[in-house]
Amino acid sequence: MTERRRFFVVGSALAAVLCLASFIPVTAKAQDFDFPMLEKSIRDYTVIVDVKIELSLGMQTNEQEVRLLGTIVDDSGLVIFDGSQLLNDRTFPSLNGMSIKTTPTKIEITTMDKKKYTAEYVGVDRFTKLGFARITGVRPGELKAVKFALGQQFKLGSWLAGYLLLPEFVNPPIAADVGMISTLVESPEKFPLTVGFSPLEVGSVLYDEQLVPVGILGPLMDPSSATADAGGMIESFGQSDVPLLGVITGERLQKMIAVPPKKGEVDRAWLGISLQALTKDLADYLHIGAKGGIIINDIVKDSPAEKAGLQIGDIIYEINGQPLDIDMDEKIPVFQRRIAEMAPGTAVEFSVLRPTDHATDTMKIAAKLEPAPMTATEAPVYEDKEFEFTVRDIVFSDYMARNIDVGSLNGVIVSGLKQGGMASVGGLEIGDVIQKIGDTTISSIKDAKLVMEKVTSQKPTEVIFFVWRDNKTMFVNIKTDWNPN
Amino acid sequence: MRIQIIAGLLIASVAGGVYAAVAITQQEAIYRARDKVLPALVHIQPVVKDYNTGELKKQEVVGSGVIFDAEGHVVTNYHVAGKAERIICTLSDKEQVTAQYVGGDPSTDIAVIKLNLDTYKGKLHVAEFGNSDSVQVGQYVMAMGSPLALSRTVSAGVISTKDRYFSSDVRLPSGEQTGNYNLWIQTDAAINPGNSGGPLVDMNGMVIGINSRATLFANNIGFAIPINIVKEATRAILKDGKVTRSWIGVHCQALQELENYFGTDGASGVLIASVDPGSPAEAAFLRAGDLILEMDGKPVSARFVEELPAFYKRIASLKPGSQINFKVKRGDQDYNVAVTTRPLGDLVGEDFECPDWGFTVKGITRQMLMENQLKDTVGVYVVGVKRAGAGESGGLRAGDVVVSVDKTNVVTLADFVHQYTDLAQAKADKILLMVKRGGGSRLVLVKTETPEGGEIHD
Repeated sequence: MTERRRFFVVGSALAAVLCLASFIPVTAKAQDFDFPMLEKSIRDYTVIVDVKIELSLGMQTNEQEVRLLGTIVDDSGLVIFDGSQLLNDRTFPSLNGMSIKTTPTKIEITTMDKKKYTAEYVGVDRFTKLGFARITGVRPGELKAVKFALGQQFKLGSWLAGYLLLPEFVNPPIAADVGMISTLVESPEKFPLTVGFSPLEVGSVLYDEQLVPVGILGPLMDPSSATADAGGMIESFGQSDVPLLGVITGERLQKMIAVPPKKGEVDRAWLGISLQALTKDLADYLHIGAKGGIIINDIVKDSPAEKAGLQIGDIIYEINGQPLDIDMDEKIPVFQRRIAEMAPGTAVEFSVLRPTDHATDTMKIAAKLEPAPMTATEAPVYEDKEFEFTVRDIVFSDYMARNIDVGSLNGVIVSGLKQGGMASVGGLEIGDVIQKIGDTTISSIKDAKLVMEKVTSQKPTEVIFFVWRDNKTMFVNIKTDWNPN
Repeated sequence: MRIQIIAGLLIASVAGGVYAAVAITQQEAIYRARDKVLPALVHIQPVVKDYNTGELKKQEVVGSGVIFDAEGHVVTNYHVAGKAERIICTLSDKEQVTAQYVGGDPSTDIAVIKLNLDTYKGKLHVAEFGNSDSVQVGQYVMAMGSPLALSRTVSAGVISTKDRYFSSDVRLPSGEQTGNYNLWIQTDAAINPGNSGGPLVDMNGMVIGINSRATLFANNIGFAIPINIVKEATRAILKDGKVTRSWIGVHCQALQELENYFGTDGASGVLIASVDPGSPAEAAFLRAGDLILEMDGKPVSARFVEELPAFYKRIASLKPGSQINFKVKRGDQDYNVAVTTRPLGDLVGEDFECPDWGFTVKGITRQMLMENQLKDTVGVYVVGVKRAGAGESGGLRAGDVVVSVDKTNVVTLADFVHQYTDLAQAKADKILLMVKRGGGSRLVLVKTETPEGGEIHD
């Protein structure tokens, strides 16, 4: 099932060429980059990243290989690359809990002087979609890392240089390119947008005319297509359809390099509220002067919000004294991102308006953020090869999606089923909550694993599953067939 | 080779002979049966109320029915006449009369209407109900009705199956769960949209079923509600306008394939698979996995799914408030459990249109909770949101539950109607709704003011 993936995307390359053709003003000041010098300095930390990716949908798995441009960003061998293809983790509520998962199975790093290293996958930042891997077995002083400039002032019309990775049949493997800062947009934070670069260059370090590394080329994220789970936690941003690219700044990168996102660990903080934007209409109706903010609609039991004394109906208009100009729902990700990016345990002070019957009280409320609950795709799974099904632990958003009280459901959720496998033929369905197998109550994938291992060794002729499906319980009999061949 | 051909011919000619011989008597039988029922056939054109698009829309639909008493009562499907505002009927002599809705029962998809015969000069024909318990697979039948609005159409076939089971997930267009209490007669007599509510007739000219469902994109797979079920429903509707049922809140599952697990031979017992929260069964400590061996001293069993509707019907048929004494097997022990039934209540709540706010709502009943993933019956359920209306602009969606209007809590549909009427009368131009959506809540600001430039006329 291995397929060699061409990293040349004709459509986007064409779009980029069109961009170049139509947007570069003819009268622009000639850019002046000392490319021979630049090329010499980037050789130390620019690498090629070969990633083998396993893509699974339910129980169907597919393997693919991608080749990406990478950059060593610290002395321990941390490498940043375009991780968008590794972030295909989605749970589809419509499919009742089935998930797509991408797992990098092997990462190989090749330096410009053809030295090969293996690397361990670290994670993908859900906001910038940058991937992180760490080269294994690095001796101190062996690797050099890029140092990004901080506090860079991005000026409209100033030029940037970058590199793109060429197809494998071309040598040398990288080629220089230039682009220009075309505008400064909010997406949802300030993001210098560029023209002139191609999507093939995503992940490339960008340099100003003094050859100072100022950031990494990244795609513009569309905040309105942010996938938030039912609990209001943001899972990832959608990419805008048009390949708009811009600079992920040194400040942002520095934060991520210090604490790289870790796969399978909750790296986001949360407050535990469901929220909506304080639109102008709502502000007028509620006679509130604030220009924007967050209205708290629900508070999760035992959440940091509840502990801090926030109440339903409260309007947060400042975080740590900084105003929140959220006046439309499309801007909610700005708030969610600010919370999510703080480390769990961070103390935050909210400026809050609390409308009462006759007046609106103003107050400061201090909250201590906690780790966000796991999302469905982060939940640990158990795969049973014999019955050909996968189960995962129940997570917070499962309760929200089904509108039932948190903690009221016991069991594990069927997240994968192989067509024609014993579990599928026997009548288990994706989204079923398995509460009992035989006479054993199942509360976690550990229980499921123990019971299924016992079943496999005892080889009974049938196994009865007691499941919760469509808000009802039922029994499912799986007839076993231990020697299908 | 030659022998085979000769043999083939022989069979063909014999068959031809038999067929010809049967055909004569069968033709006569068909004529006789036709003449007993066709004059009582009614072509029904109701104007039904549809709230699904966020505003009350009136739709003309076509269905069929059959006159079953001398007073001019006609039985048809609930999905034909249940939401009818006015009904026009065409009788077999092509005369048109109006009709009144008498009552209906979404659970069996049966409704009764009464013809307005004041001005009718013709002779009223009444069809006779037969006995659906004695029908046979393979028995000749005729379906009568108005397929695709083509009135007075007769089609013929046989009974394909007499105990077709449908799982309880089937819903009527108006949202009610249907078919819990009966099996279906399947026939290959052509049944098309418009046949709904028409009679399925045996060769003695007796109505043995009411045609209700067909399978689209299939050839001649139609389903009729057995007439014995219809008889009970019409009797109740004529008396009370509806069928009152008992509810205890258990969902049962066929024992087939589960006998070993429950240590039973499957010959007796009805397996409880699920118990509704807050139900009489839960209050009586019944639980999933219990095997009901006896109900009021009589053994019960459901080894196959086809036996489940009769068991549900037995419970439902009791007067609400009755006590049922179950003998239950749980593990190795037998227990006696007494459950007091409660009324099943309405499957869905009443509809209400808010023309000023651009959406429609319905009351929430207990029977709506599971399907719509709701925790309780508090609030009103948004049925539809009108495109580009005030509700939609404020962010309201179908499926939301409105729990407060301008900070006044809404518990029932009556609360909501009261609030709406007051605010509409006061010409309130901004109304704040609090809605529940999934596990979260949201504020929705409904702005009713006319856009700049005033109203648009065309």
